[in-house]
Amino acid sequence: MSSVILRNVCKSYGNLPIVKSLNLEVKDGEFVVLVGPSGCGKSTTLRMVAGLEDITQGDVHIGDQVVNDLPPHKRNIAMVFQNYALYPHMSVRENIVFGLKKSGADATTIASKLADVSEMLKLNEYLDRKPADLSGGQRQRVAMGRALARDADVYLFDEPLSNLDAKLRHHMRTEIARIQHQYNMTAIYVTHDQVEAMTLGDRVVVMRDGIVEQVGTPMEIYLQPSSTFVATFIGSPAMNLIEAQVEDGELVFSGYRIPISKIANTSEADLQVYRKVLVGIRPDFFEDSQLTSPSDHLFEFGSVKVDLVENLGFDKEITFKFGQEEAKARLDLRSHIVREQVISLSVDLNRVLLFDTSSQGMLLNAGSL
Amino acid sequence: MSSVLIKNEARLGLKLVAPAVGIIGLLVIYPILFNVYLSFFDVQLNGTKIFVGFDNYSELLGNPRYYNSIGISVVYLLGTVTGTTVLGLAAAILMNQEFHFRNLARGLILLPYFAPVISVVFGWQFIFDPVNGIYNHVMVDVLHLSDTRENMIGDPDSALFVVILFDIWKHFPIAYLLLLAKLQSVPKDLYEAAAIDGQNAWGRFWHVTLPELKFVIATVVLLRIIWNLNRFEDVFLLAPNVETLPIFTYYQAFSGVVDQGGAAAISVIQLLVLVGLIWLYVRKVLKW
Amino acid sequence: MMNKRTPIQSVVLYTLVIALVIFCVFPFLQILSTSLKHPIDWGNPSLWPRVLHLEAYKELLGLMPTKEVEIPETIQRLLNNPALSEEKKQALLAKFSSGGEVFSFGRYMLNTFTISFVTGVFSTLLASLAAYAIARLRFPAQSLMANGVLFVYMVGGVLLMVPLYQMSVTVGLASSASGTILSLFLIYLIQTLPVAMYMLGNYFRTIPFSLEEAAMMDGCSRVEAFWRIIMPLSKPMLFTVFIYCFVIAWNEYLFASVFLKQYQDFHTLPLALQTLFTSKNAIWDRIMAASMLTLLPVIICFMLANRHLSGGLTDGGVKG
Repeated sequence: MSSVILRNVCKSYGNLPIVKSLNLEVKDGEFVVLVGPSGCGKSTTLRMVAGLEDITQGDVHIGDQVVNDLPPHKRNIAMVFQNYALYPHMSVRENIVFGLKKSGADATTIASKLADVSEMLKLNEYLDRKPADLSGGQRQRVAMGRALARDADVYLFDEPLSNLDAKLRHHMRTEIARIQHQYNMTAIYVTHDQVEAMTLGDRVVVMRDGIVEQVGTPMEIYLQPSSTFVATFIGSPAMNLIEAQVEDGELVFSGYRIPISKIANTSEADLQVYRKVLVGIRPDFFEDSQLTSPSDHLFEFGSVKVDLVENLGFDKEITFKFGQEEAKARLDLRSHIVREQVISLSVDLNRVLLFDTSSQGMLLNAGSL
Repeated sequence: MSSVLIKNEARLGLKLVAPAVGIIGLLVIYPILFNVYLSFFDVQLNGTKIFVGFDNYSELLGNPRYYNSIGISVVYLLGTVTGTTVLGLAAAILMNQEFHFRNLARGLILLPYFAPVISVVFGWQFIFDPVNGIYNHVMVDVLHLSDTRENMIGDPDSALFVVILFDIWKHFPIAYLLLLAKLQSVPKDLYEAAAIDGQNAWGRFWHVTLPELKFVIATVVLLRIIWNLNRFEDVFLLAPNVETLPIFTYYQAFSGVVDQGGAAAISVIQLLVLVGLIWLYVRKVLKW
Repeated sequence: MMNKRTPIQSVVLYTLVIALVIFCVFPFLQILSTSLKHPIDWGNPSLWPRVLHLEAYKELLGLMPTKEVEIPETIQRLLNNPALSEEKKQALLAKFSSGGEVFSFGRYMLNTFTISFVTGVFSTLLASLAAYAIARLRFPAQSLMANGVLFVYMVGGVLLMVPLYQMSVTVGLASSASGTILSLFLIYLIQTLPVAMYMLGNYFRTIPFSLEEAAMMDGCSRVEAFWRIIMPLSKPMLFTVFIYCFVIAWNEYLFASVFLKQYQDFHTLPLALQTLFTSKNAIWDRIMAASMLTLLPVIICFMLANRHLSGGLTDGGVKG
């Protein structure tokens, strides 16, 4: 295993920049997830590490070597592709051992690796089949197996689960988490699925338009998003962002007045220069006031008219309005709420975030872990 | 700027194309230029060359046989291009229906295209043979359309039609294949929508099939013209008396009074026409 | 479209299909029928021979008892001349008998097979290298070459007839049998290379890029990825292209007639058949039997490759 370091890495096609001066360090044995909307440069970044795209500017280090000019096959990397890229003319067995054989491993090593991998991924009964005779989930497992059989320095995953249906995806996500833990592999995992990012990564890199918006542990990303982009991209339903006036030490919106001093890590003085801020509240952090006991850091939105209730089983999503702006709250089955009902919602002010209206960046160090 | 990987890839690319491109350059591109050069010489079979300037061209342009063969070529092109396209379209529509033994039928109608010219040519000659052939049997003995058995291939005028028919028979499958491929990709819902709009079968053909096919039809027509402009064997082996341009060129170059310089001159003119057509193909058809 | 046909529509459909199939197949049946007919039966319009007559096939395939070649007395006297070296005697004898009745079909078939096979192999190999590069690698002049292939493949052989012949005369290849065969091979190569490149190029483009990338991740260089993954994977298409090239060479007449005219021993089937047809009286049964035997390998190839051929041809736009 090796660490991977990207230093000021840029990629452009002609004059079109795809990745803009990216810095990232993936430690030995660390699982880092690159997440972002399509076109944000995450796959390109991964492919630059693999050597499948050349690097326009900057350096990529694997271990203690600069690999910019090293062709892919000399980088000792294993990769799982989005479309699996299994060799269609080879059996599952041949697919799995191809890379091992290529690296000159001896017969016993190959046999034991094959046994290991096919045991772990439950591929034993399919070893003699061709990829065309496998289901999507089985193909995905073979693709994983092919990468895992290798003794690579770095493992790369390019949206490996995006072609699976929801149930299988969940199952494989758990498998990957387990395997990564077991092997302690250095891995870079690209996905546009925030759930995968949150559940798999030791650290998550949120990218947008070729730029890293934030790097942090999943909880840091969730609780202390550095910008409104990260705040709304991670978490579902997306964080509510409501514009508030700053008046007399209070945040004023839609008839509610929240005392600034009660918001975590924030004092009145901090907001002196602002006339307006964006208040960010995750739907998850609303609570049904009937189910909470009053406390100093709870703020109550007294009369909220419910526009819509979506029952998800344990959870239910409530849609309502702050003035003109639509907002969502996630409550659970303890609350019995119907449309048009007027209810009272509470929020823990330690969880309320403030963002700059113009830069969209997070203000101060609001929010706590 | 890391361009090592890019450079390596470019180097590999050039290495891989080199043999093929080298051979094509040496044996196609160079000969095309050499042909232009030769057209200004009096060239013998043994390679002796005497510079004659534009004599080959002026001789050619003053030769009634040349114009005659241009005329024959035009008739040949009109007949074969129309014939192959129409029959190809009909076959494509027919084979796009569902019926028993469709795969067998699809395979069988490709046979003419793949068969060696030389072997099928004799079958055709036998069919039109004045003594034994089925054509004369049907025309004279069965249908009584004619009183005498005619040598269709012996007479250059009627032979032209036999040659055209032969070309249609032999080459409609390629038109059929191209059209069928496109036909199969026409979305079904287009037909369903047209049927709901009250179009009958003919209306659906006219308003759905044809518009979808028109670019492929144009491609087929252009490709047929390009290939048939140079077609030699199918004509020469069946009826060497039908003097289309390639046959005329062949006679100039390799028979009777050998005039390879003259033949080169014909080729140069023909090449110019061809380049024009190919240009049309590349600019128009490939853009579609 | 999916709705049921009326009985009348069905009748019309099947009639048209049968008519089309008969139109396509009739000449083949005519060839087969005539090859099996006794000469007295030729005028009979029925395709069914009155008596099955296999003499023509037997003769072509050398199953007839070899006729004693009657050597005229003058020649015999020459052969008996002790001053003549053994080599020259053999040559004289061979020349004499080859000009005689014997139509060495087997030999022509072997000639044709050899040159077609070699052409097919080389063309497929060289084309796959070039097509791969054009379809997959980035290098200078790539699109020029891609368009160039298209252009070249539309320039017919007739236009190159004179310059190619003159080139081979100038280089000196035309003056020996081996040089002539080499020239012919090279010409067949260029007649098939562009088509092969075109078909393979289009085919390679359909292979997902990630297969090579996976191979490179598995430790293959680009070249190894090509040899160990792409080529084995493309076997069916390579075979199809090989067959296509093989058939082009097998069918070729023009250049064979120009180059091989004087080397009768090296004649290919198309040339030999044409010579047979023009030089003899109309011996229809033998000609038809020879046609049938020439046709047979092509039909076999066609059946072997049919599955991929139709697709490959239309994808490639292809010559016809």
